[in-house]
Amino acid sequence: MIRLQRVSTVGPWIVVAARVLSVAAALLVGGAAFAVAGYDVPMLAGSVVRGSFDSLFGLEDLGLLFSPLILTGLAAAVALRIGLWNIGGEGQFYAGAIAATLTGLNLHGPTPVMLPLLALAGFAGGAAWVLVPALARAFLAIDEIITTLLLNFVAVLLVNYLCTGPLRDPAQAVTSASARIPYELPPLLDDLHWGLGGSVALVSVMAVLFARTRWGYEVRLSGANRHAARYAGIPVRRRLIQVLLLSGGLAGVAGMLEVVGTVHRLQGGISNNYGYLGIMVAVLAGGVPFAVLPAALLMAVILNAGTVLQAYGVSNYEVLALTGLVLLFTAMGERIAYYRLSRPMRA
Amino acid sequence: MDLVNRRLPRRLVLQAGGLVAAGSLIRPAQAAGFAAVKPEQAVIGFGHVGPISDEGWTASHHQGLLAVKQAYPQAKFLEVESIPYSADATRTFRQFVAQGAHLVFVTSEYGDLLHGVSDRATDTAWLECNGHSAASNRSWYYVKHWLPSYVAGVAAGLMSKSGKLGYVGSMPVPTVYCGVNAFLMGARSVKPEATMQVIVINSWFDPQAAAQAGTALIDNGCDVLFGVMDEAAYLQVAEKRGVPAVMWNTDVRRYGPKSYISSIVLDWTKFYVAQTKARLEGSWTPGQPVLLSMGDGVDRDAWGDSVPGPVRAQADAVRTRMLAGYTPFVGEIKDAGGRVRVPAGKTMTDLELYGWNWPIEGVSGLRGA
Repeated sequence: MIRLQRVSTVGPWIVVAARVLSVAAALLVGGAAFAVAGYDVPMLAGSVVRGSFDSLFGLEDLGLLFSPLILTGLAAAVALRIGLWNIGGEGQFYAGAIAATLTGLNLHGPTPVMLPLLALAGFAGGAAWVLVPALARAFLAIDEIITTLLLNFVAVLLVNYLCTGPLRDPAQAVTSASARIPYELPPLLDDLHWGLGGSVALVSVMAVLFARTRWGYEVRLSGANRHAARYAGIPVRRRLIQVLLLSGGLAGVAGMLEVVGTVHRLQGGISNNYGYLGIMVAVLAGGVPFAVLPAALLMAVILNAGTVLQAYGVSNYEVLALTGLVLLFTAMGERIAYYRLSRPMRA
Repeated sequence: MDLVNRRLPRRLVLQAGGLVAAGSLIRPAQAAGFAAVKPEQAVIGFGHVGPISDEGWTASHHQGLLAVKQAYPQAKFLEVESIPYSADATRTFRQFVAQGAHLVFVTSEYGDLLHGVSDRATDTAWLECNGHSAASNRSWYYVKHWLPSYVAGVAAGLMSKSGKLGYVGSMPVPTVYCGVNAFLMGARSVKPEATMQVIVINSWFDPQAAAQAGTALIDNGCDVLFGVMDEAAYLQVAEKRGVPAVMWNTDVRRYGPKSYISSIVLDWTKFYVAQTKARLEGSWTPGQPVLLSMGDGVDRDAWGDSVPGPVRAQADAVRTRMLAGYTPFVGEIKDAGGRVRVPAGKTMTDLELYGWNWPIEGVSGLRGA
C-alpha cells in the first residue's frame, strides 16, 4: 500500500521544482480555459514572452513592477521572521509616499542630498504608520493583523484627502493629484530608475542582517519560540517593535520610490495593490529575504503579462482570473512539495 | 538614442528613414508629420478609464471606436478598458506602442503617466481626452459640456420648487466646477435664489457611493439632481424618491423614466472617424486642441417625460440662441466667497471655461481656488 506522508524538510531543488511545476500547471489550466473561450493561446503566450522579455519597454515595465514588489514583499517577509503578519504594507506604502511627497514639495536642495532624504522620509513615514500597531502588539497583545489591515483604509483616505485638498494641483483635469515632485531618481534604463538597484541592495542588507548578526539571530529565535527566547534573555518585546518598524519602513521606501521615481505625483491608486501583493510575495518566498527576489519577479511577470494580454483584447477580469490561478497553484505546490509517496516498511 | 524605434515594426522605422542620421536613431522633435498608412495595415488604439459596459462615459467612447471600425473595417483595433491612474497606465500605453499603434485615443486625462510614453514614441499619434498639453505627436480634445449643462440648468431651475439643486461629483476638477457653475447659472437665470449643494465621491465610477450621495442630497432638501458619474446609480435613487435628475454621457432614461430630465450626451463618432482618416491619409497633425461644440459632439438629450412642455420650450429657446453663438458666461460672476472673479461685461473664453476651478456664488461643498 502506498501512503502520502508529510516530511518536515525537503531539499531546495524539490521546492524549486514544485514552484516551476505549479506555475506550469496553472498556465496549462488557464491556457485551456482561454482556448475554450476562443483565444489563439500560442499567439497570446508568444506575445506575453515577447512583450515582457524581448523589448526594452517590456523589460522596463518588468523592472518597474519588480522594484516595489521586492520592497513590499521584503517588508512582509521581515515581519514573518519574528512570526508577525504585517498586512499593512499598503498603508505603509502610502504613508511613505505621503512623507516623501511632503518632503519633496517643501524642502529644496541638490538632488544628491534630497534623494537620500526622501528615502529616509519614506522609511520614517512607513515606520510611523505601523508604530501604533507595533506598540499595541508588544504591550497589549492586540492582533497586528487587524490593526495593520485597518490602517490601510485610513492611509488611502488620507491620500485622497491630501490630493483633493491641501496638495491638489488645480491643473489636473480628471484625477486629483499633488504637484509634480521636483526630484527624480537617476535612470537605470530609460524609464526604469535606480529604485530597482536600491531594492536589491536592501534585500542583501536584510539577508545579512537576519543571517549574520546577533540581532537577526535574536529575532529569528523570538519568531521560532517566544518563551524560549525570553528565557534566553532576549528582549522579545523590543525586537517585536523594532521588526515591525523596520517592516513598515521598507514598505514606506517602496511608496517613496513609486511616487518619486515612477509616478512623480501623489495621487490615489498609485499603490497598484503592491502592499497586498507583497504579502503574497513574502509567502511565496517563505519569509526568506533572498527568496523575495524570485518571488517578486514571478509576480512582476504575471502582472506584466496581464498588461500585455489586455492589449490583445483579453479583458481585465480574465487576466485577474489567470493571476489568481497562478497564485493558487503555486500555493498548492508549496504545500504539496512537503508530501511524498511512501511505502510503509514491513515490520 | 531613441531606443523606442528598435521595437517598432520595421516599416515604421523605414518610414522614418529620411530622418535617421547615420548610426543614430535620434529624430528631430519637430518630426515632419506622419506618413500615410494603408487601412489594412493600420493599428488604432483605444485606452479607456472605465469598462465599456458602463453605459456612460466609456460606452460613449466605445461607440466612437465602433464608428471608426465601420469606416475602416480592415484596420486592427486595440482596446483596453479600466486603465487605473497609476504606473499600470504607463505600461498599457507602452503596449500600444509595442504593437505598432499608429493612432491612440486615450479617453481620459492620464497626464504624466501618458506623456512619459508618448514623448518617446514619436511614431505614434496620441489624442488625450480632457488633456492639457500638446506635443509634436500629441494633442487633446474635449467637449463644451457647459453649454448643454446651462440649458439643462434652465429646465432644472424651472422645475425646482425649493431652489435647492444637488450635484454628485467625482473630484474637485475643472469638469466638475464648470458643470456645477454652468448648471447653476442656467437655473439662476430663471430662479435667481437657486443654490447648489455638491458632494464629491472621489471616483468617476462608484455606483454605491453615487447612490449614497444622491440619497444624502435629497435628504438635504435638494429637489433636482445633476452629476457627472460614468454610470446611472443616482438616477435610480432619484426615481425612487420622485425627484427629477439630469445625467451625463448617454441616454440612460430607462433607469429612471419618470425622473429623467435630460443628459449631457456625448458623441465622439464624427471626431474619431475624422482623426483616423487624417492619420491614415498622412495628413494628421496635432494642430489645435479641439473642444467639440454643442450639436457637434455634445448636446442635451431628448427631454424626458418629467419635463413639462413650457419648460422644454423655454430651455430650448436658450439652446437655439447658443447654437447661433450666444454665450451666457459673461461677467459679473462672483465666486462662492462673494469675490468678483469675472468683471461685468467680460466674456469667459472657452479655455477659461474648460479650466474653471472655482465655484460660483450659491455653490456649497466645493472648495474655492
